[in-house]
Amino acid sequence: MSSSHDSVLPNPPPDGLGRLVWHLDRVIRAPENLMNFLAAAATLFLVLLGVVQVVLNAKWLFNSPIFGYIDMIELAMPILAILGISYCQRLGTHIRMDILIQRFDGRLLWSVETFAALMTLMIAILLMIFSWNFFADAYQIGDSTTDAEIDTWPSKLLVPIAFALLSFRAFVQTIGALRLAINPGLTPVGVVVQMDIAEQAQEEIREALGDADEDAS
Amino acid sequence: MIQWLLGPEADVPGALFGIGYNFDYCLFAATETEPGAACGPLLVGVICIVLLFGLALLGVRIAFAAAIAGFVGLVEMIGFTPGAAQAGTVPYAKTSLYALSVLPPFILIGFLAFHAGMTSKLFDAARKWIGWLPGGLAVATVMAQAGFAAVSGASTATAAVFSRVAIPEMLRFNYDTKLAAGVVAAGGTLATLIPPSAILVIYALIVEESVGALLLAGFLPGIFSALVYAGIIVLWAKFKPDAGPPVTGFSWSERFRSLPGVIPIVIVAMIIITAIYDGWATVTEAGALGAFVVLVIAVTQGMRFGGLKEALMDTARLTVMIFTLIWGIFIFVTFLNYSTVPQAFSQWIVDLPYNPYVILFAILIGYAVLGMFMDAIGMLLVTLPIFYPAVMALNGGDYVTREDSAFGLDATEASIWFGIIVVKMAEVCLITPPIGLNCFVVNGVQPQIPLAHVFRGILLFFIADLLTIAGLVMFPEIVTWLPALLRG
Repeated sequence: MSSSHDSVLPNPPPDGLGRLVWHLDRVIRAPENLMNFLAAAATLFLVLLGVVQVVLNAKWLFNSPIFGYIDMIELAMPILAILGISYCQRLGTHIRMDILIQRFDGRLLWSVETFAALMTLMIAILLMIFSWNFFADAYQIGDSTTDAEIDTWPSKLLVPIAFALLSFRAFVQTIGALRLAINPGLTPVGVVVQMDIAEQAQEEIREALGDADEDAS
Repeated sequence: MIQWLLGPEADVPGALFGIGYNFDYCLFAATETEPGAACGPLLVGVICIVLLFGLALLGVRIAFAAAIAGFVGLVEMIGFTPGAAQAGTVPYAKTSLYALSVLPPFILIGFLAFHAGMTSKLFDAARKWIGWLPGGLAVATVMAQAGFAAVSGASTATAAVFSRVAIPEMLRFNYDTKLAAGVVAAGGTLATLIPPSAILVIYALIVEESVGALLLAGFLPGIFSALVYAGIIVLWAKFKPDAGPPVTGFSWSERFRSLPGVIPIVIVAMIIITAIYDGWATVTEAGALGAFVVLVIAVTQGMRFGGLKEALMDTARLTVMIFTLIWGIFIFVTFLNYSTVPQAFSQWIVDLPYNPYVILFAILIGYAVLGMFMDAIGMLLVTLPIFYPAVMALNGGDYVTREDSAFGLDATEASIWFGIIVVKMAEVCLITPPIGLNCFVVNGVQPQIPLAHVFRGILLFFIADLLTIAGLVMFPEIVTWLPALLRG
C-alpha cells in the first residue's frame, strides 16, 4: 500500500541526526509492514473461517460447527487489532484532535510534536512492560480458553511485541520531531506530516475509489 | 524503574498527587453554607479528564492520551503495582472479544463494495424508477445511497463513490450544482445508520447492549432519514423547478431490466438482517458471509489480487485504528469507575431542575460542538463513558419501566434509542463546517464544484437532519420497534 504520506527519502539527509533517524526509520519499516500484512491476511482468514462455519453449521447441511470456532477467533483478534499499531502510528492513522496544532508551524509545531511523540513513547513502554507481565502470568499458569482449551499465551505475547515496535516507532518520531524543532528548515524524516482537511479528504477518496480514481480523472 | 522513581510509597493510593482517597482535597473548598465539591477520588477524576483533553489538544493521538490519563489515574487511585497491572491487561482483554470480531468484515465489505461495481447499477435502477419525481435524479441519488449503505458503513467512502457516479449525471441534466453536491455529501451519512455500521457496533460494546439490537435499530431511522432528505429535495425542486428537473421517458421493461444489478446488495442486506433477526448465524458469521459475497462479486467484476490486497491492507489499518481507540478508552474507563465521576455526573444531571428533554437537547448541542473538532468514532468513545450513564439515569435508571421513565422508554430501549440519536448527531457533524469532511470529499472528487457551493447545498439537508433528530426524539418507536421484535 502506498500512501502519499508514507514515502521514504531515497538517500539519508546530510545532517547527523537526520541520517540516524533515516536509518532507524528504515530498520523498523519492514517489521511494521509485515505486521500489517499479517493483519490483512488474518482479516481474510476471519472471513473465510466465518463462511466455512456458516456452511458447516447450517441445520439443513452438516449441522456441526467448527470445534473451538469462537476461541480461535478470540485468540486471533490481537493479530487484527493490535499488531499493526506501529504501522498506523507511522502513517498517522490514529485519530487526533488537530484544532490547536493545525495553527502551529515551524519550531513551535515541532516542539509540540516532540512532546506528543515522547508521551506516546512513554505509554508504549509502560504498556509493553505490563502487557508482558500479563503474558508471563498466562504462560506460567498455563492459561487456556474455556471451550477448546487452547493456550492463550501465544496470543497474549503479540501485545508486548506490538508495543515494543510502537516504542521503537515513537522513539524514531521523537528524535525526528526534535531534529525539526532544533532546525525547522530541514527536510522532515521519520515524522508524520500533518494533513489539512482537504488532504484528508483526498486520502478518504483514495481509500474509497482506489486506483479507479486515477484513470477517471 | 518507575516504581523506583516514585519511591516505596508508590504502592499506596494517592501515589502521584497525594489525593487518592483523601477527602480533604476538594476542587471547591467547603464554605459555611456549601459542602466541598469534587473531593478525593472525584478530584482525581476531574484532573485526569483535564489531562486527557490537554494531551489530546497537544496532538497526542486520542487513544494514547486516554491510555496515559487512565494509567496515571489508576496508579493514583489504587497504587502503582495493581494499577499498572490492570492497565496492562486491557489492550488484550478488550480486543480479544468475539463480539468485536464483526468489525473487520464490516469494514472490508465497505472497501470492496466499490470494486464490485454496485454503485452505478444501483444509481441506474433508482434513476429509472424514481427519476420522474421533481428533483428526481437527486431523490434517486439519496435512495441509491441508502441502498449502498447496506454494503457500506463508512460515510465518507459513500460520499466519495457517489460524487463519482451521480454528480456528473445530475450536472448533465442541468441540476443546480449546490443541490447535486449537497445531496451526495448528506446522503453519505446514511451509511452509518443502515447496517452494517461499525460505529453502532462500537456503541453497543461500550454500553454493553446487544450488537444485533443496535444494528437492527439503525435500519428504520436510516430509511426515515432518507425519506426526509427525499422530501426536502422534492420541495426544493417544486419551488425552483430549474434546480432539479424530473427525468422521464423510461419504459417499464427498462425499469425491470435495471433490477438485476441491485440483487447483490439485496443479498448482502438480507444475510445480515435475517441473521440478526432469526439467529441462523452470529453477526460475525453473517458479516463474514456478506464480505465473502461482495468479494466474489468484486472478483467477477474484474478485481485482481492487487485490488484485494489493497482493500485488505486498508481494512487492517482502519481496524487497528478503531481497536486502539477502544482499548485506550477502556484503560481510561477502568480508572473512571474508581473515580466515581460517572456517578457524580449522573447525579448532577438528574438533580438539574429542568425538563429531561431540555437536558437531552443541551447534551446533543454539546455533541454538535464537540463534533466540530473530533472524528465521530473518537468523539463517541471519549464522551459515552460519562454521558451515557447520565442519560440513562435521566431516563430513570437501569431497571426503569416505560411508565416510570422520563422518555417513555424502558432501560434497554432508552439505551438503544440514545445510541441511534448520538450516532446521527455525530454524522451531522460530517456535513457541517468547519470540518464537514464529506463536503471536502465531494469537492475533492469534483473540484469544479467550489467548496462554498457544497456547503451552501448542504444547508437544507442540515435542516432535514435536525428534523430527523427531532422526529427520533419525539417518536422513539422508529428506533425501538425493530429491536423490540427481536426481544420478542
